[in-house]
Amino acid sequence: MSSHSVTLALYVFVVQAGIALELLGRTGRTRIPPLGVVFSSVMRTRSARIGIVTAWVWLGLHLFAR
Amino acid sequence: MAPQASAGPSGRSETGRAARVRARGGRPALRDPLIVLVLLMAGTFDWLSGNPIHSVLLFAAAAAVAWEAARAHRRGQGRPTAHPATAGGASGRIAVAGGLAFAVVVGGFGRYSWPATVAVVSVGAMAIAAAWRRPVQAGSERARLDPVGAAVWAAAFVALGVLELTNLLLQPSLKADSYAHPTLSVLTDPILASHPGRSVALLVWLVVGWFLLKR
Repeated sequence: MSSHSVTLALYVFVVQAGIALELLGRTGRTRIPPLGVVFSSVMRTRSARIGIVTAWVWLGLHLFAR
Repeated sequence: MAPQASAGPSGRSETGRAARVRARGGRPALRDPLIVLVLLMAGTFDWLSGNPIHSVLLFAAAAAVAWEAARAHRRGQGRPTAHPATAGGASGRIAVAGGLAFAVVVGGFGRYSWPATVAVVSVGAMAIAAAWRRPVQAGSERARLDPVGAAVWAAAFVALGVLELTNLLLQPSLKADSYAHPTLSVLTDPILASHPGRSVALLVWLVVGWFLLKR
């Protein structure tokens, strides 16, 4: 298995883990909250909100802008 | 989405709960410097990677967060809590139509072109302004996360970050891509090479931004 394939498999694993956590959180039967609740809690201060929105803006710049 | 926190009993245990809440109150005091540090580090690495425009954004955001934290500290108002944004009916439909139009039009611009840069920077600036200007209400309580659930999500994000950083550092240099150790942005290159791919990616980016601004 090449390094490229291993890297892809690891990314897929992390993404699938995230989807599984979200689905678990939405059942309401575990201690894991849905992602929306996580961000609502983390972004309850203005500084955290600005920081996270900035990270999102940076992602757009990184992918599309100079 | 239901809050994850459960109501505690009153009396003796309420006193203990209040103590825990006070103890938790110390976390945001550490959170602001942490956010500033992360933004400064990201800006530094972006500068070293040859992206001065991106790093200027990150440095400016770090300065803004530091200024806001200092201002809130001077006011002594505690940690403000944001109202969740709501948009529905006509405004929601207009936002959806506007987002679709943006994705289609801007997706037609070349990647890393000045028109695409201006469009993304404009939307980003409006989003940061909206996040900053969101009305805050001191004293109200948001849902507190279950420590186990918070740790599990934190582990997932840290794993993604470590994986991305590992691949970045395994590249021949910070400015040279690697097929053997691709970062997420390298993996998206084939998708973003076409107009439809860019439009879909822009739409996803806008949806994520809308999701964040609704928190």
